[in-house]
Amino acid sequence: MIEQIREKARELLESGELDVVIGYAEGSDPTRTTPIFCRKPEDTDKLVLDGRCVNTLPAYLNKRHEYPKKGWKKTGIIGKGCDIRAITQLIAENQLKRDEVYIFGAECEGVVAHPEKWDGSLHEGNCASKCSACDVKIPLDTDFYPGEKPEVDRSGPYMVSAPALATLVKMDDEDRFAFWRDDFDRCFKCYACREVCPHCSCNICITDRTMPSWVDQAAHTKGVFGWHLTRAMHLVGRCTGCGECTRACPVNIQVDLFNQKMKEVIQESFDYKSGYSMEVKPPLITYNTDDQETYIR
Amino acid sequence: MSKGIVRHDFEPKIMGFVCKWCTYSGADLAGTSRMDYSPHVRMVRLPCSGRIDPQFVIKAFEQGADGVIISGCHPGDCHYNEGNYYARRRNLAFRNLMEFNGIDIKRLEFSWISAAEAIKFTQIIDKFTNQVRDLGPNEGYRALLDPYASRLVKSSEESAA
Ligand code: SF4
Ligand code: SF4
Ligand code: SF4
Repeated sequence: MIEQIREKARELLESGELDVVIGYAEGSDPTRTTPIFCRKPEDTDKLVLDGRCVNTLPAYLNKRHEYPKKGWKKTGIIGKGCDIRAITQLIAENQLKRDEVYIFGAECEGVVAHPEKWDGSLHEGNCASKCSACDVKIPLDTDFYPGEKPEVDRSGPYMVSAPALATLVKMDDEDRFAFWRDDFDRCFKCYACREVCPHCSCNICITDRTMPSWVDQAAHTKGVFGWHLTRAMHLVGRCTGCGECTRACPVNIQVDLFNQKMKEVIQESFDYKSGYSMEVKPPLITYNTDDQETYIR
Repeated sequence: MSKGIVRHDFEPKIMGFVCKWCTYSGADLAGTSRMDYSPHVRMVRLPCSGRIDPQFVIKAFEQGADGVIISGCHPGDCHYNEGNYYARRRNLAFRNLMEFNGIDIKRLEFSWISAAEAIKFTQIIDKFTNQVRDLGPNEGYRALLDPYASRLVKSSEESAA
């Protein structure tokens, strides 16, 4: 699988059709892979693709990063199904044009929840929870796919994959507030959850703006509540569920529980699944005159 | 037509974010018609309900509000044609988010009040004030207000006591 991708990537870099191929290479220790930007054809020999490739590379395609501004005409990118979903969403949000990227896809067997759980293979005990409910193991939109791409039915609803969500929604408000208060007490605002997200598109995040200061910058619980509510609100209807925010959090806060909950709400209210169409507008930038308004007096 | 004075143990602080074309004018009408309504709402006038960023609500709760009311023109009546349609979607999502965060959603009110609906305005304000008063102070957020209080070194008198 990866051999075919390597070969194709080398060929396209040699012919000059692609300026760069973003993929994964062996990392600093055997449990990790690291993102690699292949600029020369021989770099493609370093490419790997297996259960350790957790990073969501399309984050690099977001305009907030330097890379889209480097003047590269066409960027190749290797994606798992969920990454390609993120690319689709980026295109729907005008962060990217379809002809600016060349997508290498492959069938995905799942990835590990966190590199530290990698023990040489992928199994139930260490597989990321998002993979259990995945309907894009065969990726949606690819330019290069090794072999024949089978048709898959993806019409089903969005599936919540985090087990913690079910227990949380059953709690009453006070317990839920206490749960978040205890969890958020650990957050020290490193903003890793923002940096890894392919859909946090702002050049200057609202939490970094101090005039006026909408989100309290201090990492005390009040500021952290403000931060997480803000972040979750900004990603409503846009998060494609890669789970990177939770994986990147150094203090194990399940940041994406908010996002998963909102995905469910958006699916129920507006019948929208982010990352499945380049044309359909994300739900909060459009409206229907007969939208639900049961909560309004 | 005085309602008489009733004293309560707890008087809630309520923030109102309202559209200037409808609700604010409705409130104006209530005022010029000398209607009685609860004085707990501090109103902020904005050009449109579509301008009401959920960030305002988060900030209001952070600053010690016990309840927040958002109000704008009825669907189809928006001065800018479509602002309230966006507001409707956004607030649906936001309410779910607040609820998931553990905020009692009864503290957050959304209503359509037109410039002519002074009576509806007073009714909604009264009803919401009572509702929030029954809920009591927003303890969860109030406990966050002074995050370092619990970590302060106690004064000698306090620790002796
Ligand atoms: S919010 Fe988290 S799960 Fe959603 S796209 Fe961003 S990083 Fe991925
Ligand atoms: S949290 Fe909001 S403001 Fe900050 S980068 Fe993400 S989308 Fe932008
Ligand atoms: S990654 Fe974790 S610690 Fe860092 S800002 Fe996000 S939630 Fe807080």
